[in-house]
Amino acid sequence: MKMELVIWHDGRNWVVKNERVTLAARTLDELDLEVERFLRAHGLVREGEMTEVFMTFDNSTIPQWIRQYSQHYFNRVLEVKG
Amino acid sequence: MTDLSNRRWYSGMLTQEDWWAVWLGVGFFFLSLFNLAGIDLVGWITYPTKWVLHPPEGGKGAVSHAFYALGKKYSVTAKGFYKGLGWWSVLWTYVVFTIATCIGAAFMRWNMKRFFTGWTIIYFLTIATWFVGHHAFIAANKINMKQYGLNFALSLGGGGSFILALIVGLVIGNFFKPFANYLSEAAKPEWYIKTAIVTLGVKLGYLPIKLAGFSHKLGKEAASLTFDLFVAGAAATVVAYLVFWPGVYVISRRLFKLPRKTAAVLGSGISICGVSAAVATGGAVRAKPVVSIMVSALVVVWAVIELVILPGFFTHVWPGTNDPLVAGAAMGMSVKTDGADAAAGELMDEFMRNKIESETDGAVIWPSGIITASAVMTKVWIDMFIGIWAFVLALVWVYKFERRKGERVPVSEVWHRFPKFVIGYFFCWFFLLALYFGPGQSGAAEAMPFLKTVKAGAVPIEKGMRKLFFMLTFMSLGIITDFKKLKEAQFGKMVWVYFVALFGFIIPVAIVIAYLFHHGMQIPNIAGFVK
Repeated sequence: MKMELVIWHDGRNWVVKNERVTLAARTLDELDLEVERFLRAHGLVREGEMTEVFMTFDNSTIPQWIRQYSQHYFNRVLEVKG
Repeated sequence: MTDLSNRRWYSGMLTQEDWWAVWLGVGFFFLSLFNLAGIDLVGWITYPTKWVLHPPEGGKGAVSHAFYALGKKYSVTAKGFYKGLGWWSVLWTYVVFTIATCIGAAFMRWNMKRFFTGWTIIYFLTIATWFVGHHAFIAANKINMKQYGLNFALSLGGGGSFILALIVGLVIGNFFKPFANYLSEAAKPEWYIKTAIVTLGVKLGYLPIKLAGFSHKLGKEAASLTFDLFVAGAAATVVAYLVFWPGVYVISRRLFKLPRKTAAVLGSGISICGVSAAVATGGAVRAKPVVSIMVSALVVVWAVIELVILPGFFTHVWPGTNDPLVAGAAMGMSVKTDGADAAAGELMDEFMRNKIESETDGAVIWPSGIITASAVMTKVWIDMFIGIWAFVLALVWVYKFERRKGERVPVSEVWHRFPKFVIGYFFCWFFLLALYFGPGQSGAAEAMPFLKTVKAGAVPIEKGMRKLFFMLTFMSLGIITDFKKLKEAQFGKMVWVYFVALFGFIIPVAIVIAYLFHHGMQIPNIAGFVK
């Protein structure tokens, strides 16, 4: 199973969001735990299966003057085992 | 508004400047190829020539001819039409490039009103400085100054215009900040320089065609020199990567006691390719974006300082005209933004060519653009490697330093960080080489009419469009550079790390590496073939 989220840093927290959920945490470790908790609580991880969470960075949170030099911060994948 | 232009491999094609440099450069290159069908669609591109207020009788330099459409000289099918344009070519160029850049700005969802007015102001300021910079007192040298009735000239060639554009931009950026802020929507040095670099690909591909017009042997020499630069640039870049990054990382950690993530981001910013490396590394090591943003602000200002210092240093102190391609390659490895590097390379190209011509009383004349190409070639390789380097760093960071359960680094990161303008640069270069080696029969006499039609299209792009976009880059670099940023307290230690690493380590090592891989490469002498 696959799930897509948008990720950015709001100056204080790492935040992920899609049409169903918004989660935030101070560190990426804590954020990953939040995502895992959400997946398990909503039955989005099945026993014995792997759920892949693809996080696309929101480039609009990088100042526009920098985007002319570099237009990618990072995308990351989190795999949660059921 | 959310920007997910790197969600899929193709999703940024219409929304990123990098891609728009390709569309602009390759788009106009394709327009130039209509010459092969007998239709000249690019001869209107404007170009300046040296002038004086009172030209001597029978001499050159009337103000009325200070700008001309390049088709006047090079068009095969519409020379008469383009001859009549004169100064009007400035307006033609404005209208066509305004439409093209505004289409790009619209797709990139910029503020159109601000972009249009900003672009218009920057364009005409650029034309004004281009005009002033071509006064014969600034641009002529001792070989040709008499033609303009002068007994002394500064011998800066086109370099004088670049310096003027940078000065005008810096004055605006540092003393008229609200105005600079307004112009910033259109002051995009990286977009302009990437477009110019795509057209530099046209220049490289056209070089053998141009020299084949002088002699069959020179054409072959030029083709082989560009390949040598290609290979030497790659080798030098790999060596530089292996030496620069660990060196600056150690300086940051041991000498200045910076935290590991800051040292990694700063290490990439200073040692590899500036802002793009700082941002890529910040992302790779999962640093908060603010770290990359701070390093980027430093990189941009330091790059302009290098642009001001290095072309003169390399031309007049070392290695001078003895090893111009060593100087070019060292420039590519030392100056940390594409814009400042290519601009510095172009400036040095002008300085060196004028110096050698003056020093030898015209016995040695180098074709333009080869020194620029040597500066850009190493930079292009560095840019291409950054994606791979950031990917390796991300693997090290995610799987070793900060191992998180379940996190995986997608291979697509390499593509998202790949500099797309490089595709346009190589495409134009190899396309023209294919024409040269294929139907152009490597410059054989019977293929010259064909190569002449290729030339009619290529010259307005590699000469007119390229130089204009270089001028726009110089002007824009000045506008967005605020030296006061170096004084801002929060950078503190980072400013000093940058200073020590750049001048005490990066530049000296770059010179040594450039020497090892480029020493002895010769630029063809075309003195016997030009007027």
